[in-house]
Amino acid sequence: MSTDLRRILVLLVAASTALATLPWLASDFMLSLALTCLLYVGLAVSWSMFSGATNYLSLATSAFFGIGAYVTAWGFESLPYAVVVPLGGLVAAAFAALVGAAVLHLRGAYFAVLTFGLGELVRHAITYAEKTYAKTVGRVIADPPESIDVYLTVLLLAFLAVAVCATVRASRFGLALAGIGADEERAQTLGVNTRRTKILAFALAAFFAGALGAAMAVRWTYIEPASVFNPFIGFQTVLIAMIGGAQTLIGPIASAVIFSVMTEMLRLQFPYAYLITLGVLLILLVLYLPGGMASLFRRAWKPNA
Amino acid sequence: MREPLISARGVTVRFGGLIAVNGVDLDVHPGELVGVIGPNGAGKTTFFHALSGVLAPTEGRLLVAGEDLTGRAANEFANHGVARTFQTPRVFRDMSAGDNVRFGLAFAGRKRRHARDAFDNPAAILELLGLGNAAGVPAGGLTPARQRLLEIGMALATRPRVLLLDEVAAGLTHAEVDATAQLIRRVRDELGLAVIWIEHAVRVLMNYVERVAVLHQGEKIADGDPRKVAKDPAVVEAYLGEELPA
Repeated sequence: MSTDLRRILVLLVAASTALATLPWLASDFMLSLALTCLLYVGLAVSWSMFSGATNYLSLATSAFFGIGAYVTAWGFESLPYAVVVPLGGLVAAAFAALVGAAVLHLRGAYFAVLTFGLGELVRHAITYAEKTYAKTVGRVIADPPESIDVYLTVLLLAFLAVAVCATVRASRFGLALAGIGADEERAQTLGVNTRRTKILAFALAAFFAGALGAAMAVRWTYIEPASVFNPFIGFQTVLIAMIGGAQTLIGPIASAVIFSVMTEMLRLQFPYAYLITLGVLLILLVLYLPGGMASLFRRAWKPNA
Repeated sequence: MREPLISARGVTVRFGGLIAVNGVDLDVHPGELVGVIGPNGAGKTTFFHALSGVLAPTEGRLLVAGEDLTGRAANEFANHGVARTFQTPRVFRDMSAGDNVRFGLAFAGRKRRHARDAFDNPAAILELLGLGNAAGVPAGGLTPARQRLLEIGMALATRPRVLLLDEVAAGLTHAEVDATAQLIRRVRDELGLAVIWIEHAVRVLMNYVERVAVLHQGEKIADGDPRKVAKDPAVVEAYLGEELPA
């Protein structure tokens, strides 16, 4: 293990341990805000691990998140929370591997549109199945876990997402992903099994989105396809990661915290002002800072680079 | 006769109605340096795409050291020791020159660790190519000529037994071409590689290879000693107007 990676992991453990004390120190409002931050840290970092490195723009986060949420909806009565959450991740990852095997030869806009369509497909499939077989449009989660448990679970998932992403970035697997992002065919002629690498990374990212969906589902008490397959979750994840700098580790983390806090602060007073801000920022960043906010700092650190 | 390291048998590549490569046979043995020439649009690069697994042939077979790899992915070809360069350098521009070489060592080169250890570290490979001082420089910042050399380095890092060179001499000065050719021969001799070298500029190539194959409109029209091939009427006609060195 490189010293860089070890330093990142030590820092990460320290930060997570500190954050784990929050339920006993902070108000309910602060805790809920921290929960949103951690949710988007987990989503944006895991999204970047695949899409940031490979330049395959995936809009499937909503689909994976919703699948995870539905695993909770279906399994929560009979299974403990601690089982439902990883199960949600595994189901989403299996789904991603299956779909990835079929569509990961597509690039650019085709891949983006297809992954977006995937979310809609799953949403309608579940709506149909629920109406036809379960005769219901939504499900009530009875006896949800304590909000402290939800918080600690999401914290653990966010921690794992960042730790896994940092480890991947330092590994041969991460190098293969970066090679695919730079020039996929060239990477392949140098011996990278591009197909397997892409499917694995896509499934790994889906695991975290699914597990986070499963963990967060209990917060809603009433689960229906329209709310858990909300495409907004996917878009927000992509925007956060890109605004932060999807090629970096710290970019999506910082950006997730900043935008989650901004959302909470602005949403109540000006429901649309925050969306406008996000939109304007994205336009400015694409125009002037395609590497995201993180590239700003890197430029400041290395003026000659 | 020894078994060829790479063998194309009746390789045909079609794009819709267009036949880019038409039933080409080519066997190259260990230690051979074979030139492939042909006018523009003769199908040289398409043939290379087939030889390196980048493009599956529509018909025909491809054997590497006797193993049939027809239809397998390019990474399988790399893992079996087929390395190539691209006509337009396709280095990883944001990575340093050293990391570009490290990339090949980390993937196909790692799978082929058993092959030999003559060039088992990026520094040795860069040194060989005269790029020793560029190890830390982003590959995108190198001159096109040096990017071409780096392409060779990336290919060598995969520990190949077959080296496919696509117009590595394009845009080089006469002295640079000479140095590159010496380098290619040296590597071939040291590692016993089978080398196939495409060049559009016939004159350049004829001086350095011991055998040359000529492609014309997708078909192989000649294959043999460069001096004899240059006098072949079919070749002369294909290169209508272009003077060939005797």
